[in-house]
Amino acid sequence: MARGIGQYIVIRGLMIIPTILILYTIVFIFLRILPGNPVLAVVGTKNISPEQLQHLMKMAGLDKPLYVQYFDYLWKMLHGDFGVTLAFPMGKPVVEYLKLRFPATLELTIFGFTVSVLLGLLTGTIAATKKGTKIDTGMRLYSIIAYTLFIPWFGMMLQYVFGIHFHVLPTSGRIDPGIELQRITGLYVLDSILTGNWEAFASAIRHIILPATTLGIVLSGAYTRLVRNNMVDVLSQDFIRSYYARGVRDWKVTWYALKNAFIPVVTLMGLQFAILLGGAVLTETTFNWPGMGTFIVDRIDYRDYNAIQGAVVFFAFFVGLISLIVDIVYALLDPRVKY
Amino acid sequence: MKRKVLSLALLFIFVFSVVASGCIGGEKTTTQTGGAGYAEQIVIGVTDKVTDLDPANAYDFYTWEVLNNIMEGLVKYKPGTLEIEPALAESWEVNEDSTVWTFHLRKDLKFADGTPLKAQDVVRSIERVMTIQGDPSWLVTDFVERVEAKDDYTVVFYLKQPTSYFLALLTTPPYFPVHPSYSPNEIQSDQTAGGAGPYKIAKWVRDEELVLEANPNYYGEPPKTKRIIIKFYRDASTMRLALQNGEIDIAWRTLRPTDIESLKSEGKYSVIEVPGGFIRYVCLNTKAEPTNNLKVRQALAAAIDRQEISNKVFKGTVEPLYSLVPNGMWSHIDAFKEKYGDGNIDLAKKSLKEAGYDENNPLMIQLWYTPTHYGDTEADLAQVLKEQWERTGVIKVDIKSAEWGTYVDYARKGQMQVYLLGWYPDYLDPDDYTTPFLKSTANSWAGTGYANPTVDELLTKAQSLTDQNERTKLYEQVQKILAEEAPYIPLIQGKLFVVASSDVKGVTIGPDMIFKYSTIYKEKS
Repeated sequence: MARGIGQYIVIRGLMIIPTILILYTIVFIFLRILPGNPVLAVVGTKNISPEQLQHLMKMAGLDKPLYVQYFDYLWKMLHGDFGVTLAFPMGKPVVEYLKLRFPATLELTIFGFTVSVLLGLLTGTIAATKKGTKIDTGMRLYSIIAYTLFIPWFGMMLQYVFGIHFHVLPTSGRIDPGIELQRITGLYVLDSILTGNWEAFASAIRHIILPATTLGIVLSGAYTRLVRNNMVDVLSQDFIRSYYARGVRDWKVTWYALKNAFIPVVTLMGLQFAILLGGAVLTETTFNWPGMGTFIVDRIDYRDYNAIQGAVVFFAFFVGLISLIVDIVYALLDPRVKY
Repeated sequence: MKRKVLSLALLFIFVFSVVASGCIGGEKTTTQTGGAGYAEQIVIGVTDKVTDLDPANAYDFYTWEVLNNIMEGLVKYKPGTLEIEPALAESWEVNEDSTVWTFHLRKDLKFADGTPLKAQDVVRSIERVMTIQGDPSWLVTDFVERVEAKDDYTVVFYLKQPTSYFLALLTTPPYFPVHPSYSPNEIQSDQTAGGAGPYKIAKWVRDEELVLEANPNYYGEPPKTKRIIIKFYRDASTMRLALQNGEIDIAWRTLRPTDIESLKSEGKYSVIEVPGGFIRYVCLNTKAEPTNNLKVRQALAAAIDRQEISNKVFKGTVEPLYSLVPNGMWSHIDAFKEKYGDGNIDLAKKSLKEAGYDENNPLMIQLWYTPTHYGDTEADLAQVLKEQWERTGVIKVDIKSAEWGTYVDYARKGQMQVYLLGWYPDYLDPDDYTTPFLKSTANSWAGTGYANPTVDELLTKAQSLTDQNERTKLYEQVQKILAEEAPYIPLIQGKLFVVASSDVKGVTIGPDMIFKYSTIYKEKS
């Protein structure tokens, strides 16, 4: 018997909890298994006594038994507290960093996502409508190449071409130095529109083009293949032939076919969004984009347990939320889905 | 239909190309122009990080540089030299045995926000460092018994022992007066109130951007450039691209040797070379097999060819070093060169034979390095060392690596046999290049386990003497013992490179390696 959509949403929502718990546990264990700790990373080669070292460990809460550390942090997280940083600087709420860094990643992700979906739909549609031709082969080849591109390498190529060679786009950062932008959401493009700061808007757009394109092209390959295969499937169906028989225009038929082929693409969007965040780490590093990816990498260098745990859990929660939304959209789009 | 889809595709590509070709915003230079005939801002790129904007806890070279630009001490180095000149203090006296130092402050000193700066502020700031007991506090607590404000303009330091190089210590951030808004007993890593330096902090986003603006209340000559923007990069290659694309005016710490070489050859940039006081060396564990054997350590020291390391790994951007005391510093002697030469394979083989090793019974060692802390060249350095040692035909080297947090843990616990480390000076005196390494009560961080009562005695004596000639003799003795016993093998001394667009002028960095931004400028274009 089919359940109601409300119940379906609740169950799917509750499934995020064990996912996060498992991920937190894995990260917690991995960080503790590795030798070294944030206090040692900070102390480095300084000459301090074992007593001073012990004092610093106590300050960081690392003198407690592991299970106490584990449940302490879990308890804090349940109250929306991600603890404080343990290195450079010590004692700053991790949440403050997440507030600062997450919008940058979200902005990059949204733009990268848009580029990848648009490119995927375009190339997939072209391939399907030109099935069996050289263009089709070319598009399929594009999808394979795009999918296998290594982000740092590809990003650097774009930096060289559009930055160093043509000098038309910046190669790093989010905005030109010296431009003041009032922070509202932390998404620079949106903030510049909201505040009517068009200089900042132009600068933010110019800065996001290369990283979003890098990320978008690399992730578009999967869409190309999926859209093409679905479109080929739909275009061979009876209702499409009847459109042609009734003299409906080519572009309209393609549009109807695309709408029908779109449902599986929504599922992929959900999956891709998680991959997109992973890809954002590499993209951020390549383009010196001050987001969550570079934050986590920096904190790993310092072995900053709280910051890494907090960032990973936050990431996981966000990805879980996106997956949930995608599932709901999918359930609403496709009447065959059973709640 | 086919034509329509193709048109759609072409339209998309066209729109994207138009956007990408800079129609939005167009090309933008990094600087606007300001008054006084100079550009208003200069953008500096760095791959280093700022740790704590608090002199009570900051203990890394780049953060010290930033603090040196937003704060000042009682004395400072004359730009580009090792000559100490008055700063917040206009004059000073010292008693006969260098234990009481009296400083007279300038009148009308102010912090960046206009708050008056008096002798009590100097005392408050130094006592704060003593209270907080942060990483660099030993630079105060090891030397200063107490500090007093005799009146609004007189500060007196009473030292624990005669310290001839006290003025050099005073140039370090723990002695800088800080604004009263700094908490008296807590580290404030993101405090932007600063002190009384040529610049003040206008904006600070950790690991992203630091904006400095000229301090209107600075007592000295105003900075030539009103605004300095520091952009933080994660890696050298991104920073290099930013320089080539005109997004930054100066690429500072630290470009890779290969980047410096190729930017030099482009001919579009000024490449300013700065003699660096930082050194790189190999540590040998004197408490564990097989490096507890003196002959083994001597063999490893003899086989190293520093010139080859400099050329192969660092493309000539460093110089060979034959002592822990850097080249050019008084008392330096080429102790290791005198004893072993350079790349002396025969001597290495001889020592190994005396230690009981030959081709049939080779010496097996593990060489450790840390991949990111000392830049991208570290793996290459380890590889070249391995090749040099294996040239003897009697040594087999297994290279291992660990991240910084793990690496220092292993070092402290004495878990590594042979490992690479580096050193930036705290203050410019031979004492800072010898005591932390060789004095048995001060070198636990290094994990070599080295202890020699004679060396301890020599170093203690050298610290308390005021006559430089006498101190020189003692440090020379120490360096000879170091070469003989080889608990550390010095490798190279770094140089620093500032790579700037050709219109940037006035870069002056002295032996203290601190880049003072107030002298740099760009002519109005």
